[in-house]
Amino acid sequence: MLLCLASLPILSSTGSGQTDQGPNAPPVLSPAEKETVKAFEKRVKEYVSLRESLERKLPSLSSEAKPEEIEAHKKAFEASVRKSRANAKPGDVFTPDIAGYIKTTIKTEFKGTDRKELRQTVLEADTKGVQVRVNYPYPETKELAQVPPTLLLKLPQLPKQVRYRFVRRHLLLVDRENGLIVDYIGNALP
Amino acid sequence: MKRMFASAIAIAILAGCGLVENVQCQKASAASNGNNGSLKVSLPTKSGSVRFAIIGDTGSGTDKQQQVADMLVRYKEVFPFEFVLMMGDNLYGGDSAKDYDKKFEHVYKVLLDGKLKFYATLGNHDDANQRMYDHFNMNGKEYYSFKKGNAAFFSLNSNYMDKKQVDWLEDELSKSNAEWKICFFHHPPYSSGVKHGPDEQLREVVEPIFIKHGVDVVFSGHEHFYERLKPQKGISYFISGAGGKLRAGGVGRSPLSAKSFDEDMSFMLIEIIDDKMYFEVISRTGKTVDSGTIMNQHKKNAVGAAESATKHHSF
Repeated sequence: MLLCLASLPILSSTGSGQTDQGPNAPPVLSPAEKETVKAFEKRVKEYVSLRESLERKLPSLSSEAKPEEIEAHKKAFEASVRKSRANAKPGDVFTPDIAGYIKTTIKTEFKGTDRKELRQTVLEADTKGVQVRVNYPYPETKELAQVPPTLLLKLPQLPKQVRYRFVRRHLLLVDRENGLIVDYIGNALP
Repeated sequence: MKRMFASAIAIAILAGCGLVENVQCQKASAASNGNNGSLKVSLPTKSGSVRFAIIGDTGSGTDKQQQVADMLVRYKEVFPFEFVLMMGDNLYGGDSAKDYDKKFEHVYKVLLDGKLKFYATLGNHDDANQRMYDHFNMNGKEYYSFKKGNAAFFSLNSNYMDKKQVDWLEDELSKSNAEWKICFFHHPPYSSGVKHGPDEQLREVVEPIFIKHGVDVVFSGHEHFYERLKPQKGISYFISGAGGKLRAGGVGRSPLSAKSFDEDMSFMLIEIIDDKMYFEVISRTGKTVDSGTIMNQHKKNAVGAAESATKHHSF
């Protein structure tokens, strides 16, 4: 009897990396992971609320703007958010639990050839010299590493104002308009 | 003799597929165009057609980019296209007002002064704020669609294909009843490029959607050359990424490649008349390096199905 029970598969208490409904479906989360992701999304929303409130104080940018207007808006926006987050530091948004979850997700969702392709895509971009520092701008002169759509479908979804971006093996959270590095996870790419 | 025979066989095969007709080889077309000042196009230039040009990876601000632009202006006189699609990497090395001026406004001044519209997509060298620029006609959106005649165009941001964009694409394509569905974005799902090659991870996500919703043609850039791929699962793929940069010798050997040109920079001219899309690829020096016709497969299949249904009912 005991031997029969021992032969039964042990159900995992975490859901990391388990997916249903096809290879590009989002991972199935355990209750603990759901809480981790929910807390992360809350912190991201808090950053977005802050930057929206600061942007509203600037002259609005038309969708038919001139280059001078675009440049001025970006500079003013960057300065305003930088000042407001002067004490921001690594781990404020990517706390250790979400950083661990994301690293594990990337590791478990991308194995073998998939991981090789992921690394190829991410590391192809020339990001030499890009300093990964919270509350500093991503340099305009540097290209952006494409974030593979297969990866984006696995990570926690973000509001349109921020996005994930790789610089070498580090995963950044970057503001879409002002270009500031909101936070980052060091060596997220296995 | 053997090469002519092989070319004839290739043309016969391609014509037999029904997807590309009248493919003219480079040598024959080069004889009619060149630096002699008298330009000709193989395109019908029919009244009421949808006519546009395609340029990609342009934003270098170099003399050669200007030369391509000048050739585009010359060709507009014989083939009055109505708008231009930009395949991304619209500005290299920065997005200041000076960059916009040097790498775009100054280069295409004649076309811009003539009120020609450019529709851009974002490349991996492009800041997302370019979507706010009036002359890129992105209307503040990183991905958007518009219609011209019987063709619907879908510009995507392949740098960041998140779930929101995937859902938007699925929705837009499903709602569109345009005869031609054309998608354009920076990273090519299929490519024989040695440096970048095909974006297989992007392809994995978008290709099923394209097939499901009847996309006919996909244009991309990123690779700094021209390439026409053999149709893949009923969709024609083109790379036009040599509008401002060139990767000479950048095309590798691939069984998927129908035609390529990596010896000089280039642009494309396109004309859509009913169920046919005519294309011609012009080099920086004015030579035609590829041309042909694409039949609208979805309309062809729909007509075939209707005829078959009619025949069935007539029993």
